[in-house]
Amino acid sequence: MVGQKSFGENIGVVVNSALLSVVYFAGVGVTSIVAKIGGKKFLEKDLDESGKSYWSDLSLGKKQIREYYRQF
Amino acid sequence: MGSKYVLGVSCFYHDASAALLKDEVVVAAAEEERFTRKKHDASFPVNAIKYCLGSQSININDVDYIGFYEKPFLKFERILYQHIDSFPKSYKTFVSALPSWFSEKLRVVKMFKKKLNCKKPILFIEHHLAHAASTFLVSPFKEAAILTVDGVGEWTTTAYGFGKENEINLIKEIKFPHSLGLLYSTITAYLGFSVNNSEYKVMGLSPYGNMDRKTNPYYDKLKQVIDIKQDGSYRLDMSYFVYHYKDRMPSQKLCNLLGGPVEKRGVDMTQRHKDIAAALQMITEEVITKILKHIHSETKMDDLVIAGGVALNSVYNGKILRNTPFEKIWIQPNASDGGTSIGVASYIYHTLLRHKRSYKFDNAYLGPSFSTDEVKSFLDKNSIRYDTFKDEKDLIEKTSSLLFEDKVIGWFQKGMEWGPRALGARSILSNPLNPKMQEILNAKVKHREKFRPFAPVVCAEDAKVYFDCDDPLPEPVDYMLMVYSIKEKWRNKIPSVTHVDGSGRLQTIRRNQNRQYYDLIKAFGKKSGIPILINTSFNIRGEPIVCTPYDAYKCMMGTGIDYLVIDKFIVKRDNNLQHAWDSEKYTND
Repeated sequence: MVGQKSFGENIGVVVNSALLSVVYFAGVGVTSIVAKIGGKKFLEKDLDESGKSYWSDLSLGKKQIREYYRQF
Repeated sequence: MGSKYVLGVSCFYHDASAALLKDEVVVAAAEEERFTRKKHDASFPVNAIKYCLGSQSININDVDYIGFYEKPFLKFERILYQHIDSFPKSYKTFVSALPSWFSEKLRVVKMFKKKLNCKKPILFIEHHLAHAASTFLVSPFKEAAILTVDGVGEWTTTAYGFGKENEINLIKEIKFPHSLGLLYSTITAYLGFSVNNSEYKVMGLSPYGNMDRKTNPYYDKLKQVIDIKQDGSYRLDMSYFVYHYKDRMPSQKLCNLLGGPVEKRGVDMTQRHKDIAAALQMITEEVITKILKHIHSETKMDDLVIAGGVALNSVYNGKILRNTPFEKIWIQPNASDGGTSIGVASYIYHTLLRHKRSYKFDNAYLGPSFSTDEVKSFLDKNSIRYDTFKDEKDLIEKTSSLLFEDKVIGWFQKGMEWGPRALGARSILSNPLNPKMQEILNAKVKHREKFRPFAPVVCAEDAKVYFDCDDPLPEPVDYMLMVYSIKEKWRNKIPSVTHVDGSGRLQTIRRNQNRQYYDLIKAFGKKSGIPILINTSFNIRGEPIVCTPYDAYKCMMGTGIDYLVIDKFIVKRDNNLQHAWDSEKYTND
């Protein structure tokens, strides 16, 4: 039983990895290439050494309670 | 009208926890690690939740509202953006990290159903709002400026704003990948320590380094990795980091800058390591000082509350009131992610349900406690030899005598502490006057790095005699959150708690918080002339602080603790050697 379980888990890992590899190259990869061609940045990494501040506006305060039932 | 119960939960990153509010009062709170015995356990805190509910004899269906400490989909968006940005370098982390998102992190509602058979809707509060609420809404202040600084939440890594009555507004932020917390963690990893665990060791190492900006060779080097503006806002030069796409933190470029590869675990710390730690601490202090001065000028408020993992930097916390215009400060004892469960519950109760505030956090003993009958039953069932104190006076008198005779005492009383520090409920106590006590404690129990001193505990009204602390004494000192200088004339009298720079990470105690603990310190003072004890966490190296009588007894028998004082009983290790074992064979820290 232990051997069967372990075999099953190993198969699961292989299948998961294969599926995630497809998602990574077909989904993440294509999006990344298109975004780079279009000049879109997903992480703001650049330094602005001449700028005065890196603070950005945030409006995190009380909202309607229904807004908090959402996970986004 | 019946009481309203609100449950707050945090999990799936590190330090999972649960907290329960009965109306506005925090009646129970605990971290999951204490039950599962896995340090910093991030798993769904089913044990902590069950403890919280059990403490009030209610079940999950009696809870009126349940809150979670972040917005999982927003966090997942950030993770996806990291991978898109870093393609194809992030392939390995994508394949290894994504399954846990689909199996649990994006299934919070289902986890409540599966683990607790709970079908109630869950309220999701943004991570930094939960941090802000965890400190402001339980603080003594009606109005205060708020700063939250941690590794990362959904996107935010640093935020500030203000709180007024029962409302919070965070108005500015710095976003991932720029993070002061992750900078600290990166250097922690570089020095061979574990991330999200050993940052405090780097803080403790820093005074051994060169704390002079002009002559520390690593200060200017580390300044190259961060661009700090006059208002304290900052960005990291991401070429020095790889944490946004790999499962490690420093890049090869950072290793080259600091003159060597990432250290292996357990390597002896040289002056170079100490100087790097010192440079990091100086830069961290510089950034936070600038931020706080900016927040003060923006908010015009004199009271300050802070939260997030960086708020556990007790070395800097002790300097805040001296370095900035703020007049008062409050930090909740569990300032890191574990503490956000109190934040979400308080935010729901006060802000969303519009209840006025009158509660102020002043009791850290929110974890499981055990009755005299429960303790006696445990001792009897396991054939443990013990003696019973006649009364509390006898307990204080005998225990203080043992401490004065340089015995190491496991002290188990009241409810378990909330937060990472032992505060006199699950503590190991000993005599700080003995110059060899640091060595003795390390040999017998703690086996910690030589550079780390032990912490002193002193009664609040005596603190000013021995320490150069702020006046009036800030309340966070009660939770071991501020480091102060020990007055020169006392340093050689209490060497075991005096750090290399003459400082001590003291805990102050007031009699109304923990009578026995307070009386014990006073009784020890009568014998020794100095009412200060060493207080260190009651745990085996690499394990969480003990929770139950079984954990405490097992810890004593696996280490060299001489006596366990538990409720009204005293257990001598040497009388129970049939249960002795060697904990060092099993440690992993």
